[in-house]
Amino acid sequence: MSASLKLMPIALALTATMVLATESNDPPPSQPVSESAPISESTPATGSGSGVGLADSAGLRATVFGAPPQDMAPLPAKVPLSEINIELPWRLPVPGVLWFDGKLRVWLSAQDRPAPLAIVISGTGSDGNTKTIAVLRAALYGAGYHVLTMPSPTFPGFIVSASRTGVAGDLMQDGSDLYGAMQEIVAHLPRKVRVTDIDVLGYSLGGANAAIVKSIDATEHKLKIHRVVMINPPVSLFSSVGRLDRLFAATIGPGDRAVELLYRRLYAQIANLYRASDRLELDENFLYSAAGATLKTDAEFSAAIAMTFRLQLIDMFFIGDLYAKTGVITDPAHPPKVGDSLEDIQSDLRAKPFADYFTRVFAPYYLMRRPDATSASLIEANRLDIITDALRDDGDYYAQATGNDLIINRRELSWLQDTLGSRIVVYDHGGHLGEIGERQQVADMLDMLSGRWPRSTP
Amino acid sequence: MRAAVLVGIALALGGCAAHVASIRRVPDQTPAADNAAAAANAAAFAEAAAAESGNESAQEAQAALPLLTPADAPPLYTYDPWERLNRFTYRFNARFDEAIFLPAADTYRRAPRTIRAGVHNFFGNLAEIDSIVNYTLQWRLKYGLRSLERLAINSTIGIGGLFDVATKLKLPGTPTGFATTLAKWGMHPGPYLVIPLLGPSTLRDGVGYLADYGVGYGINIANLYRGNISWGLLVVNGIDQRANIDFRYYSGGSPFEYETIRFLYVRRRLIEDEGLHSKVPAKKTADETPAGK
Repeated sequence: MSASLKLMPIALALTATMVLATESNDPPPSQPVSESAPISESTPATGSGSGVGLADSAGLRATVFGAPPQDMAPLPAKVPLSEINIELPWRLPVPGVLWFDGKLRVWLSAQDRPAPLAIVISGTGSDGNTKTIAVLRAALYGAGYHVLTMPSPTFPGFIVSASRTGVAGDLMQDGSDLYGAMQEIVAHLPRKVRVTDIDVLGYSLGGANAAIVKSIDATEHKLKIHRVVMINPPVSLFSSVGRLDRLFAATIGPGDRAVELLYRRLYAQIANLYRASDRLELDENFLYSAAGATLKTDAEFSAAIAMTFRLQLIDMFFIGDLYAKTGVITDPAHPPKVGDSLEDIQSDLRAKPFADYFTRVFAPYYLMRRPDATSASLIEANRLDIITDALRDDGDYYAQATGNDLIINRRELSWLQDTLGSRIVVYDHGGHLGEIGERQQVADMLDMLSGRWPRSTP
Repeated sequence: MRAAVLVGIALALGGCAAHVASIRRVPDQTPAADNAAAAANAAAFAEAAAAESGNESAQEAQAALPLLTPADAPPLYTYDPWERLNRFTYRFNARFDEAIFLPAADTYRRAPRTIRAGVHNFFGNLAEIDSIVNYTLQWRLKYGLRSLERLAINSTIGIGGLFDVATKLKLPGTPTGFATTLAKWGMHPGPYLVIPLLGPSTLRDGVGYLADYGVGYGINIANLYRGNISWGLLVVNGIDQRANIDFRYYSGGSPFEYETIRFLYVRRRLIEDEGLHSKVPAKKTADETPAGK
């Protein structure tokens, strides 16, 4: 049958290369890691000003390529996996063009004996089965946990199946949707899965989501969540995405024309590599190698990161506009129907920064529903410091951060350190998520989850 | 009986199998092996890069090739005059996959690994015949010879193709088909085409798949293509292939999946075409002509 369907995973890998999914663990390119010339917020190394937060060259590189395979913690040979598709009672009516998103899909790796359950929340726009999450799942399963992995509340499948608003990105609202979904899922776990305790982890935006979920549980006690580990969390959501908007503007440029130029450049580079390679088909291994050969400079890494993030955002933007009926991209009176071409919409959205989502969809929607709110108060409500007291006083919140993460700045990192004290570890490398799976990161994460942190020095 | 099956299929396609929560076992993850493979791929790539930089003739060959520039890249838009029908077919394929193909593949995966490997090798071996024909038509006789050797070794020592002995003897399989032959002959991909059950394609590639089946049917080795069991074999072949493809419709949840898959499928084929014509750059199209036209 499908010689053509077979091409699809490879085609998807092609996206991964063309936009360079930050999730990839595969391709450590051959060149030595470029000397980590620090790009401070003022130097124009990427021409981006404050677009890269704390990131230096090595940080950008690690963000794109992930941890090198030889640095990974030992992982189990086999991890069983099941997907659970669940229909949530509070789901809003499903728009026709999103007919396939009606059920929430999460993944479970269960032990065959009683064990604690680790729930892992994905990063911005991502589902619960990314490469990053697979590494965390393997490490946790290997350490004896049942592992349940969930999409980000900004993932289209989550917004449609589990959001009570359809307008994603609000920390408290997303946290409460997540918390509700977790309860439903835990109630519907197969009977043979016996859970002794519940911990929650999350990476990137998922880290912030995890902390909020625990803070909600602290008053509602429905799940009795024990410990939380945040991996590379943002501190102020809108500062972090604003940074990525600026990175996009600086490295790719304004409008879809700029995206097209980036695409053309990558296409020509990959085609030239392919022609010179003597290969018979364009397969995944080739693409990952091509990524290593194509991306070398800070500006290229930055463009890849910014483009990946932008593509993760456009679904959320489209869906938010559809639900909120704000009419930015879709006509509320005549929403797109199944079978309509969405290419022009997609092209429009590629050119729109996150700031547009905030000012034209998110803020109008929430301002109408929260009479006392202002734009400024909405931004403030999306900072991790809305739960400062819990983070400071409750000993069960932990964090892993890096000193060269592009989504936070010095002040935000200091705030995390001051608030969490000894319950945060800051690595000097890894960029954004590039430390995940490394021996030290995994060992520390497991110690934090089991209450052996901070380690008492012998 | 037949009616009951049809009703069952209709219900499944309609999504009427209503459960609040359903659980589906998917293949085990193998993180340790995956990481080892990633490390090996990285090492191989580093080695290849080092070898290339030391190999002057390769560099000369590369220098002789006029390099593509961004202006040679096809635009973001893709030629899709049959979009409405294609979208309908895409949606049908997604539902069919969810309701029938995937459950069948899940059931098939419960069979012992050795049996599945045997089935997979058997169909792979049959496909070598088509590869030999097409490598010859493409005048790439080195690869045609390799396919011939593979066919000979696997059909005999490999007991009718059940064991892939040839790969162990450093003769890896590199299947080709009439779609690639047409590309080699210089035919453009033509309009994007979503084929029922098969998935994304282009007019040229669709014609190619049909011709590949025609080659099998024409040669009709051991009466496998025209005998009583030919339909059964076709179904088993389909399920075996599906079970080996790591793709799930709409797993990214994106409303733009149709656009994304179309974009990637056509770009991938165009880059492969560039590889086929590496001596002569592909004919340049006007800047605003959609990709594939």
